[in-house]
Amino acid sequence: MLINGNKRRNQGLRILVGAAGAAAVLFGLSAAQRQWLDSRRVVSIQEYSDTGESCDRPAHEESSRTASAEQNLFASFQETAFQETTVHAQDANTVDLTRPPVRDILDTAPIFSSVGVDTERNEVYLQDSNLWSIRVFGRLDNAKPGDPPTEPRRVISGDKSDIQFNSCVWVDPGSGDIYSTENDTGNSIVVFANRATGDAEPVRKLNVTHRAQSMTIDEVTGELFLSVQYPPQVAVYGKGANGNDKPLRLLKGPKTRLADVHGIAIDGKNKLLYVNTWGNISDPDVAGSGRFEPNAISVYRMNADGDTAPLRTIQGPKTQLDWPGAMSVDPATGDLYVANDVGQSIIVFHRDDQGDVAPSRVIKGAKTRLSYPAGVFVDAKNKEVWASNLGNSSATVYSLTAEGDVAPLRIIRGAEENKQSLKFGKTEALIYDSKREEILVPN
Amino acid sequence: MHPQIAAFARLAGVNTPAVRAIEGQKTLISRTMHGFYYDGPHDEIVVMSPLAQAILVFRGGASGEEAPIRVIQGPHTQIQGTPYGANAIVTVDPVNNEIYVPSVPDVLLVFDRAANGDVAPKRILTGKSGAINISGQTGVGVDPIHNLLLINGRGAMFIFDRTASGDDKPKAVIRGPKSGMNNVHEFQVTPKGWIIAGGGDFAADGGFVGAWSIEDNGDVPPRWKIPVQQLTGYVPYSVVLDPVHKEMMMAAAGRSNTIRPANGIMNSVITFSWPEIF
Repeated sequence: MLINGNKRRNQGLRILVGAAGAAAVLFGLSAAQRQWLDSRRVVSIQEYSDTGESCDRPAHEESSRTASAEQNLFASFQETAFQETTVHAQDANTVDLTRPPVRDILDTAPIFSSVGVDTERNEVYLQDSNLWSIRVFGRLDNAKPGDPPTEPRRVISGDKSDIQFNSCVWVDPGSGDIYSTENDTGNSIVVFANRATGDAEPVRKLNVTHRAQSMTIDEVTGELFLSVQYPPQVAVYGKGANGNDKPLRLLKGPKTRLADVHGIAIDGKNKLLYVNTWGNISDPDVAGSGRFEPNAISVYRMNADGDTAPLRTIQGPKTQLDWPGAMSVDPATGDLYVANDVGQSIIVFHRDDQGDVAPSRVIKGAKTRLSYPAGVFVDAKNKEVWASNLGNSSATVYSLTAEGDVAPLRIIRGAEENKQSLKFGKTEALIYDSKREEILVPN
Repeated sequence: MHPQIAAFARLAGVNTPAVRAIEGQKTLISRTMHGFYYDGPHDEIVVMSPLAQAILVFRGGASGEEAPIRVIQGPHTQIQGTPYGANAIVTVDPVNNEIYVPSVPDVLLVFDRAANGDVAPKRILTGKSGAINISGQTGVGVDPIHNLLLINGRGAMFIFDRTASGDDKPKAVIRGPKSGMNNVHEFQVTPKGWIIAGGGDFAADGGFVGAWSIEDNGDVPPRWKIPVQQLTGYVPYSVVLDPVHKEMMMAAAGRSNTIRPANGIMNSVITFSWPEIF
């Protein structure tokens, strides 16, 4: 009893000493420092340990912290006072804390960044940047209300596949080869045989510039066009390029007006190259050269090379461009279809449009089921236009002449109905908003 | 792809949608936001627009397609990245009203927190004395209580006086095989003086989040270590702290073909209870 009584007295004395020390520290701080400390949010009185280092509290002592205020005088101070702010250099072994996490924020569904259609084999390919996969569906698959998620015919995914944060899938209409562009950690285009499934190894892997975004192929010339976000450029390779093969030509430089390049499309009939840009631009070799420009679609000759100015540019508030993603051309009309991500729409421009011009048609509205469409593909054979939706893990298809708030002809769903995707691309950073108790996560 | 800043409730879990997101052309954000800051006292979000060599400041409650309230950008700023590594990281000292931006060639730029437009840095620290090789991807943190500036690079944590400038030398360097100071991304410094960072040997399944002291110097192991890679399959990128609930949150993502979480989900935010550091 005596020992316990002394211990309690010592404990009380230590709390007082701690509080006095904390007060001294507190009043020694500037007003701004005290504001940063944000009162009880970041500091509290710590009970001094009876043995060992006062600042170290091994994990096994955690139980003492959960005692009620009645059981532990210290507990009643925890939320209201200040703790000392001194640490000291390491003088003990590392303590491993193997407790499991208390919660995870994650999306269990695929997040579809791109859509490609194999019109010869009637299959739809969806690129998924969350589960690192390519999912293959039947072209006529259709998830009706209340149906479970659409079952893919095949899934390409796994270590050997080398699929990572891929942003574009494209299917060769002749061979059926599957091309997929990696946007961040892989710096490559991987090519699979048409029937590839599971953890398939690519038949080819082309190493490309970091931040590759979208690609397309001109079947006539056998050229592969690749957009790279930054430093902004369009690299043109031979269709069969492999390994460290170099581009045949490179559209790059200040005259091109390329700036954070995303979607790319070609009009083979009229020999035109369309490239859209988000306007975030700087010369990495020049300090302070950064600037912002409005989103735009620039039009070049298909054989443009080097630092070549566009033939014309579609840009301005009437265009409705808002983070445009993939683009696709209807070869019959030359109409350009644009996945307008944050605009929540598919917008269509005429072949000769330029300047601040309104789209000739807009597919948008609640009935469309469009949600952050980042991918688009014109299926000229079946007169349909497909969109892949980042926002709800789906692909939706419309008549090629659709306009306004129209329901899709069919839906492929990667998740349950009314899914709200987390739209994760690559979760590499985060901050905590203590005022709103929110975790902020960028892509 | 889609460089949103999505906000989730603290208690959000599997498949919980965001409560708001900053996204769209007017926001001026772009990809490669690898380290940013919530300035609680001023209720502001400070983030780089990496491809445009710009610092963006948003209202704390910004949502949707909302423009930043201040933009620091232009020739006087001296902000510069590289073709491969854009200016991805920024941090704030809300006590002394300063914004820190690691930049090339081998410099840390310090701006007034309220700066706007094409302004020159008020102070520049070079990485020469510590052989840091500062770039737009270098981690940086400020401890305004103990007046320290911390810079992570080349497998080491360099600790300077907060107001260091020019070729000033670091006061201490935590570095060496025992320290685990490799693969560190963005880190935090607590008011008590704990440096909280993710690191370790990812290839050997040794990714962890550790706590070192600002008093440490040399080849010093962390005081505490959460072996997150063994526990979750994910490797740590950035970490952030919630002192009220005594929790540490970690951004985690797939990392090349060699590091794939077993659950097959390549994007995650994972929260651990960690009362020892608060």
